[in-house]
Amino acid sequence: MSQLNTGLFTAPNAREYLEREPEMSVDRISGRLWTISDGVRRTIFLEGHSSVVAFDTFGTPGAAKAYHKAVEATIPGKPIGTVIYSHDHLDHAGFAEDFAPEAEIIADEMCAKVIRLRQASGQRIPTRELNGTRHEIDIDGLQFTLLNPGPTHGTGNLSAYFAEERLLFSSDTILPNARYGLMPDYHIWNLVRFMRGLLDLDWDTFVPGRYEITNRDRFIHGCDFIEAVQEECQRAFAEFVPIWVMDAMQGYVAAKLGDRFGDLDGFGEHIGLIATRIVHHYLMGGWSLEDTPEPGYLLADQLT
Amino acid sequence: MNDLSDETEQAHDTPCEHCGIFTLGGDIPIQGAWRDITYVPVRDNIWSVSEGIYRTIFLKGQKGVVAFDTLTTPGTARAYAAAVGRVYPNNPIHTIVYSHDHLDHTGYAADMAPDANIIAHELCDKVVRARRSDGQLPATEVFADERKSYSIDGNEFELIYPGPTHGDGNIAAYFPESKVLFMVDTVIPGVGYTFFPDWHFTPYVSAMKRLLSLDWDVFVPGHFWITDRQGFIDSLDYYDRMSEFAQQAIINGLDPHDWAEVTKYTNLNLAGEFGQLFRFGEYCAMNLSRYMQQYLTGGWGIEGNWQQDTTPL
Repeated sequence: MSQLNTGLFTAPNAREYLEREPEMSVDRISGRLWTISDGVRRTIFLEGHSSVVAFDTFGTPGAAKAYHKAVEATIPGKPIGTVIYSHDHLDHAGFAEDFAPEAEIIADEMCAKVIRLRQASGQRIPTRELNGTRHEIDIDGLQFTLLNPGPTHGTGNLSAYFAEERLLFSSDTILPNARYGLMPDYHIWNLVRFMRGLLDLDWDTFVPGRYEITNRDRFIHGCDFIEAVQEECQRAFAEFVPIWVMDAMQGYVAAKLGDRFGDLDGFGEHIGLIATRIVHHYLMGGWSLEDTPEPGYLLADQLT
Repeated sequence: MNDLSDETEQAHDTPCEHCGIFTLGGDIPIQGAWRDITYVPVRDNIWSVSEGIYRTIFLKGQKGVVAFDTLTTPGTARAYAAAVGRVYPNNPIHTIVYSHDHLDHTGYAADMAPDANIIAHELCDKVVRARRSDGQLPATEVFADERKSYSIDGNEFELIYPGPTHGDGNIAAYFPESKVLFMVDTVIPGVGYTFFPDWHFTPYVSAMKRLLSLDWDVFVPGHFWITDRQGFIDSLDYYDRMSEFAQQAIINGLDPHDWAEVTKYTNLNLAGEFGQLFRFGEYCAMNLSRYMQQYLTGGWGIEGNWQQDTTPL
């Protein structure tokens, strides 16, 4: 039986789940740029002169292998020379050992610190770390910009800006719908303000890390949605809604925002979860230094 | 147990002068609202107070009071101070110890005892200072060690940082003479609170188990009722079992964002083992959804990936 990368799984019966290869859907965006999705998660890859630059790996060894096969079928004869991690989470960047074991791995330095600490099986440690907010990348004839606007979701989350295509890629930040669930590892204090900062760039196509490609107007609508939930959550809290009861939060916030944001796919199913998460931001005050007006990273100086 | 429901009308109507991180502006009714506080002796000089959901402790000293935390809002902070005054009249709260950084436990020292000395772990204080929340005062005395002994106004206790557990710089208070341990938002009677907000799962259980190397038999949590050593151990076992259930739920194809299915799955598969636990129906599905994320995304941030420490304290 071959060695299986297991991420953080310890369950003895996880093999079938981890090895399952989902069907991938690939779409060409420009002469050099493609997007690929397993039906939920989404990422991008680019064709260079002699190699492929791929973002992320998908979230299981099977999905990483399916991603590899899809790239090989789309751009035959060129190896995946570079993988860029959008952020640290395993469901996006957890299995480079299965996707491209020899590739250079580029990531933000904080993302790299978390990955080194995590020691997840299959998640390769970055070989090139970026420090700062803006990086002009030139790899194998491909030019584009990587941006870390500040803590938004996960750690060291990089957006990619392609001026030639007037396209922005950002993983697990603003979604094209309302399917945020309990908003795992979102930094509520800073999410929208940093994502709105990316509107200073000239782009009209937005590729999110989940679901379908969207555009600038829908991205703005998504920012407006999160901000509106933040405001109504404060009102719910201020007006004695029992904020720990999901049905109560769902009823209050859905009634306030249904007319304006009910067009977002998944609004009815997710608004209670989103509101329950966001109202706790106002109860607790945000989570750690990432979630403060002057964000930083607690304990970062204790890590290599 | 006593009740403060007969507090003065003036106290009930005190407006909200500190508003945390609310950005709404204007009157925020919940901030100023009065909450009735109950108080109960624990052991020796240790008293515990609660407004029904939140719980904390204070210590009777020779000249005044050492209070842990500030409770949830400016209104509850004032009610807490009033409760302390009932037990120990005419003695000031001269010291506040912050359990951790969150506003719902330590957000309103400005309303409770604005001139008190405030002790916190340095990780807690870093976040408090960066947050700049209205009403949450920064510490006047910080410590960075794993254990530090204090002798304040006739009270001897230790503050212990066992590693990342929940929030930032979350410390236990250990009273060796009384064999009492107090720690907030970690072990709580019943299932876990909602979606385990700001819990650091990777190091959590091992860090908490380190506290079992100390000699205590009464545990005062930051919510609900006081428990004992076995209640503490049972709570940590719940986390270990939830870790196993979460992995199996992913293997079974459950989507943690599909709330209807997560609820159905929880009732079908977890009620047998956990259905008798306090607030199973309200929170267990959220617990499961959050735990599934641990395996899908990995731990969150540096604290959420901190490596496990199993060494005794």
